[in-house]
This record gives sequence, structure tokens and C-alpha cells, in this order.
Amino acid sequence: MMHKRKLAVLAAIAALAGATAVMAGPRDDILAGYAAEAGVTAFDAAAGKALFTGTHTGGKPETPSCTTCHTGNLTGPGKTRAGKVIEPMAVSANPQRFTDPAKVEKWFGRNCRSVLGRECSAKEKGDVITWLSSL
Amino acid sequence: MATTTTHDTQEHGMAAADAARASVKVWDPFVRLFHWSLVAVVATAALTGFFAGASWLQVHVWAGTAMAALVVARVVWGFTGGSYARFSAFIRGPRQVISHLRGIVDGTEGRHIGHNPLGALMIVALLATAALLALTGAVALGGMFKFGPFAFLADFASGRLARELHSLLAWGLVLLVALHVAGAVFEGWRTRDNLMRAMVTGAKQRRPGDYPAPRLAARPMLGLAVGVVFLGGGAASVSTLASRPPLGVPTAPLDAVYADECGACHTAYHPSLLPAASWRALFANLGDHFGEDATLPPETVAKLEAYVTANAAEDFDTLPANAFRRTAADAPYQITATRFWKWMHAGISDAVFKSPAVGARGNCAACHRDAATGRFDPRRIDIPQEITR
Repeated sequence: MMHKRKLAVLAAIAALAGATAVMAGPRDDILAGYAAEAGVTAFDAAAGKALFTGTHTGGKPETPSCTTCHTGNLTGPGKTRAGKVIEPMAVSANPQRFTDPAKVEKWFGRNCRSVLGRECSAKEKGDVITWLSSL
Repeated sequence: MATTTTHDTQEHGMAAADAARASVKVWDPFVRLFHWSLVAVVATAALTGFFAGASWLQVHVWAGTAMAALVVARVVWGFTGGSYARFSAFIRGPRQVISHLRGIVDGTEGRHIGHNPLGALMIVALLATAALLALTGAVALGGMFKFGPFAFLADFASGRLARELHSLLAWGLVLLVALHVAGAVFEGWRTRDNLMRAMVTGAKQRRPGDYPAPRLAARPMLGLAVGVVFLGGGAASVSTLASRPPLGVPTAPLDAVYADECGACHTAYHPSLLPAASWRALFANLGDHFGEDATLPPETVAKLEAYVTANAAEDFDTLPANAFRRTAADAPYQITATRFWKWMHAGISDAVFKSPAVGARGNCAACHRDAATGRFDPRRIDIPQEITR
């Protein structure tokens, strides 16, 4: 019995790793796109963290920070101001994150305007994705 | 239980035979059971109707249903019961009611061992009011809440009219019950009778000078058969009618794109919760959507706007669709800013809205289990109990 369970766990881990590997493809493409747009070769995870966790004044008063809704615990779920659960932002907790370019653009667009009162630059988006992928 | 009066034993000297005649069963077991059951269900319906909120609606409806069934059973027994239960034996015309009243004023009126002519009027009034209460209640329920036997037929406006009548009739019944009790107290004092005890034991002492009641044999088997047919047929019709699709209630599932895009941040509010004009105003201002940027690509906006304006409050007849057609002047698309919303939620404390299970006033689905359908059936409210953060 123990053997079987161990095998099952191993298989699950392998499947997950495989899924993550498959998912990493689109995320790398998205990052590559932002890198080309920003004209940089590497992103800065620390800068991403500062942007994400910092308190801003340029946006709407209801949302001074990304953590207003996403909370400071990025591997756990967040909550919208209307009470809806938001899936974790950290890629380690939610491998689906940053794999759909349209979704990534939609939410950076909306949320940067809400929190910062302006669009985020390609560099800033790349930094944030890089940081959230490293958690 | 039979007691022999000294008067009887002295005059006739046939104690055993007179003993049987001296005490008379006025109220048969059905009448007594009916009377006290009616007291119980009317009290329940009145308490829940006058004082309790929407969460007690189901109890109120059950009490009303039981009341209707009791009235039907009593009416059947009024045609098949014995001397004191039969309508024809105690319902009198206006002339006899007036002469009864004159006799009371003159002090010449004797005792009716069953219902007196004025009391009989009260019985008819009580039964008729109870029947009308059940009917108007069912129409109100069908028209406003879209369940029950009239849900397929009654629109919201007729439901609301029925509710107005229902509430007038309820006050009428309160008045009638008060008069009935006062009448029983007065008649008990006038004839030196314990009428309340008689309605429990069924027995009264026969006295010389009592108005004779016509001797009518009860037909319990016929009464039972007719009662079963009426109540069974009634229950079958009610449940058949209640299973028909309710009028003006949305049936289609939410549009998938709408549910996905709008449901990402908040409850995907059913389009019928706002009038079309409010939806247009909302989509024109997605850049500042309740303090957040909710911008969508123009083609998605066009698609969603077409969907919601074709399924807006004007297109349905549910209670929320009717109520939210009137929006707040300064917040044309904020449901929680409407007077109706505030009034309906006045009894809910802030702690409930701030609790982890709810989070915000706009999170309808936290308590309304059928929020996604736009129906908001009062029977499907389930307020989360844990309110500590």
C-alpha cells in the first residue's frame, strides 16, 4: 500500500512539474515581449516587489496599493473590495498566473490605473511578474 | 360528566333519564378541535405576519395554508355536522338578529345553547375573512414572490394589490377576534355560562327556557368523504398550479462572458437587478467603476451592454426587478444605494457585512443562495452566522 501511495505522490509531483514546465513557456514569451518593449535584457524582482507592496497616491483612494486586494501574503488568496476571492498571485501557488497575454494586459491595465493612476511601463510589468514568479 | 339539577330530579323523579338530558354535548369533538386549531394557526400567522421578517415567511405561509384547510373542513362540517355544527341550524336572517338584540336590551332574551343569532354572524364573518386572507395571501405570494399556486398567473402589480387587501383583512380579523372574545365574555356574563370551558369539554348544562336547537343527525362519514375530496382536490390543484413556471422570472443561465468578466471582481449581478438606462450609464463609466478601473475592450463592452439591456429590470417581473427599477438619483447604478435595498437590509448589522464570509454590502450571494438567478426568493436567505474577524 505504502508503495502505491508513494508512487501516486511522485506521479502527482511529476505531473505538476510537467504542467509548470508547460506553463512556463507562455510566461517566458510574455516576459520576452515586455523585455523587448522596454529595451532591457533582465528584470528586477526587487523593483517589482517595491512597486507591488508599496503605497501609492496617484490612483483611486480606494486602492492605494496592490496589496489592498491581493494582501501581503501572495501565496494565499486575496479578496476584492466586493468580497470576491482572488486566486493567489505567486506562480508557485497558482501556476496559471501570467500565462494568458490578454488577461495579463487587461489586469495590468485596470489595476495600474486604479492604484497608480497611470499605465504601468513594460519594465514595471516585467519586474512584477519576475518577482511573483520567484516567490 | 353529566350532572343532575335538583330542579330536574324533583320534578320528574327519573334521575337516570334526566341526567342524560341535563348535560348536553353542544360542541362536538371536530368543532372544538377546529376552534382551538384555528386559534393556534391564526395566532402564528398574525405574529409572523405583523412582527416577523422575511425569514419567517415560510412559517407564515404554512400557518395560512393550515388556516385555509381548517376553514374548508369547517365549511364541509357546516353542511354535514349535527345540530350545533350545521350552518342551517344557527345562521339566522337579519330580522332574528334584530329581535335577539332587542331581547338583550329588554332583558327578555333567553339562552341559545349553541350559537346565538349574533354569534352566528360572527362565525360567518370569521370564516369568510379567514378564507379571503388565505386567498389574498396566495395571490400576494404568487405576484410578489413568485411561488405558490398563483405564481404563474399573478403579476407583481396584482400581487401588491393583493398584499394591501391582505393587510386590511388581517386588521379586520384582529378586530373580529376582539369582538368575538368580547361577545363571548358578554354572553357568558349574561347567561351565567362558562363558554370557554364549554369549548374545551363540549358540554353545557341544559336549562329550562333554552331556545331549542333543531335535531339534526351528524353525517360524519359523508363529511369525511366530502372533506377528503375537497382538501385532497385542493392540495392537488394547488401543487399542480404551483409547479407551473412562474410569470416573469428569468430562466436562462447568465451569459458566460458576462459571468466571467463581471463575476471576476464581484457577484455577477443578474441583469434584471437594474433598469436598462442604469446599465448604459454603468458601461459608459467603466473607467471609474465603484472606485476602480474596470475598463474592457470596446467590442466586449458592446456585447455585454446588449446582453444586459435586453435582460434588464423592465424585462422581468420578479420583486427585485420591480423594486430596483427605481434607482437612487445620485447613484443610478448602485443597487445598495436604493431606498428599497436599504429598507430591506435595515435589520442586518454592519458586522455581518464586514464578516469574512460576506465582506461587502454588494456580495448578495453570501446570503441569497439564488442571487445568480435574479430571483431572490425569501426562502433562500441564509445569513452566515460567524461574524468575527
